[in-house]
Amino acid sequence: MSTYTIPVGPLHVALEEPMYFRVQVEGETVVGLDITAGYVHRGMESLVMQRNIYQNITLTERLCSLCSNNHPCTYCMALEKIAGIEVPERAQYLRVIADEIKRIASNLFNAGILAHIIGFDSLFMHVMEIREIVQDTKETIYGNRMDLAVNCIGGVRYDLSDEKIKYIRKQIDRLKKPLEEIIDIYMNNKFVRARTEGVGVLPKEEAVRYGVVGPVARGSGIDYDVRVKSPYAAYDKIKVNVHVENGSDVRARAIVRLREIQEAVNIIELCLKELPDGPTCIDHLPEIPAGEAIAKSEAPRGELIYYLRTNGSDKPERLKWRVPTYMNWEALNVMMPGNKVADIPLIITSIDPCISCTER
Amino acid sequence: MSSFLKIAIRNLLKGPSTDPYPYGETFVPKGLRGKIKYNAKACVACRMCEHVCAGGAIQIREVSDKSGLEFILWHNTCAFCGLCEHYCPTKAIRLTEDYHTAHRQEDKYRYVEKGFIKYVPCASCGTPMVPTAPELLNVAYDNVNKDIERLSKLCSKCRKEKVCG
Repeated sequence: MSTYTIPVGPLHVALEEPMYFRVQVEGETVVGLDITAGYVHRGMESLVMQRNIYQNITLTERLCSLCSNNHPCTYCMALEKIAGIEVPERAQYLRVIADEIKRIASNLFNAGILAHIIGFDSLFMHVMEIREIVQDTKETIYGNRMDLAVNCIGGVRYDLSDEKIKYIRKQIDRLKKPLEEIIDIYMNNKFVRARTEGVGVLPKEEAVRYGVVGPVARGSGIDYDVRVKSPYAAYDKIKVNVHVENGSDVRARAIVRLREIQEAVNIIELCLKELPDGPTCIDHLPEIPAGEAIAKSEAPRGELIYYLRTNGSDKPERLKWRVPTYMNWEALNVMMPGNKVADIPLIITSIDPCISCTER
Repeated sequence: MSSFLKIAIRNLLKGPSTDPYPYGETFVPKGLRGKIKYNAKACVACRMCEHVCAGGAIQIREVSDKSGLEFILWHNTCAFCGLCEHYCPTKAIRLTEDYHTAHRQEDKYRYVEKGFIKYVPCASCGTPMVPTAPELLNVAYDNVNKDIERLSKLCSKCRKEKVCG
């Protein structure tokens, strides 16, 4: 059988963001893969050094749209570590609530795209409509559908009145039944199974070797979640049930994401119940001394790490972040070979790549 | 076997879920972060909004005849992040629920929010100064009495002399 090299991307109908794959195929089967990145590089690591600590809250929030809350949150945590700022307890709970609401929206989006790629567009529409419940919640509570603008140095910028708490409760109640319905479909529908089961397999040993994080790791049987391993915000007071699947394929990763939505719903309910009273933010402007810190959080795609060094001025001396996709896309080299050409976009989507985070 | 048919039929019966915008109303919750409104009367020109604005949309500068300060916000540069509102001590700057930002190309450089803070003379020496907004006094003091009000009409130099003798 003859071997061909086919290009996928950088602009491709099934990829949301530009990325270029040179795929070697033998007939219909993938045998090799070359990944080329760099199409959405915006020089953000340099930009953050030209802006002051406040401006960077907004800048880091605009790195990427789907995990936009985790970036400023982790950035603020790094600053708070350097300055030794104690974040009020209520603010820590409010950070968790914002984090989980974003996780629901992000994971639903990925589930929807998966349905779209396997040609199940009515399911795609349905999932996106369920996601609208979360989008409306974000718009009502935070004032925007994507960028929540929750974090500031030393706390959060929003508060929940009794009325708003009731509203969130009502909205997440509306999510529960449709969620169960779609999880059943993703797990048991024969068309979805036919396209996702046994596709893009990443065995556990390979997952460990590549150091993958987030739902990609948990879909390959690795029990790793920053929220449990090194809790931040209020996660040390809240029990997070980490869902692990052993299928190691596209289906397993999708199920992990959907189960995490259910867990996020539980976490939000718990947070609303236990939300302590008190201030939501420190009452003075922070003073940031020279120093360095590392902060990490669990973004919808996995572990997000921020490294920050300050020099006593109000501009960071260095800010570097490692995003989950950086670890996960290398693992495509294992997932792809042996699969059919038609599965390429599906496997790429299954790692839920965030190119703009990774290339910044 | 899980069939999607039931859900599809239910969705079909529910009818379209999209809003008829721009021909009809759309969902606008209270607290939506839209276009910025500026109130020059409450502003104390501390310039914190200018400092925190990531896009550099806000400028506060002295006008050419030195009669006061001009506040300019470029709507097209604003990212609606709301940091200016959060850090404004007197809430002179706030985000409205107005999300309509469509305008003609020729209006692009006029699409701004403007305000003017006129200097007032110091009650004692007559040096032009930024007037002290009552909102600031309310933030600083529990009770604003006559003494404080009198002091607020003085420039910083006269105020120091008056207080410290």
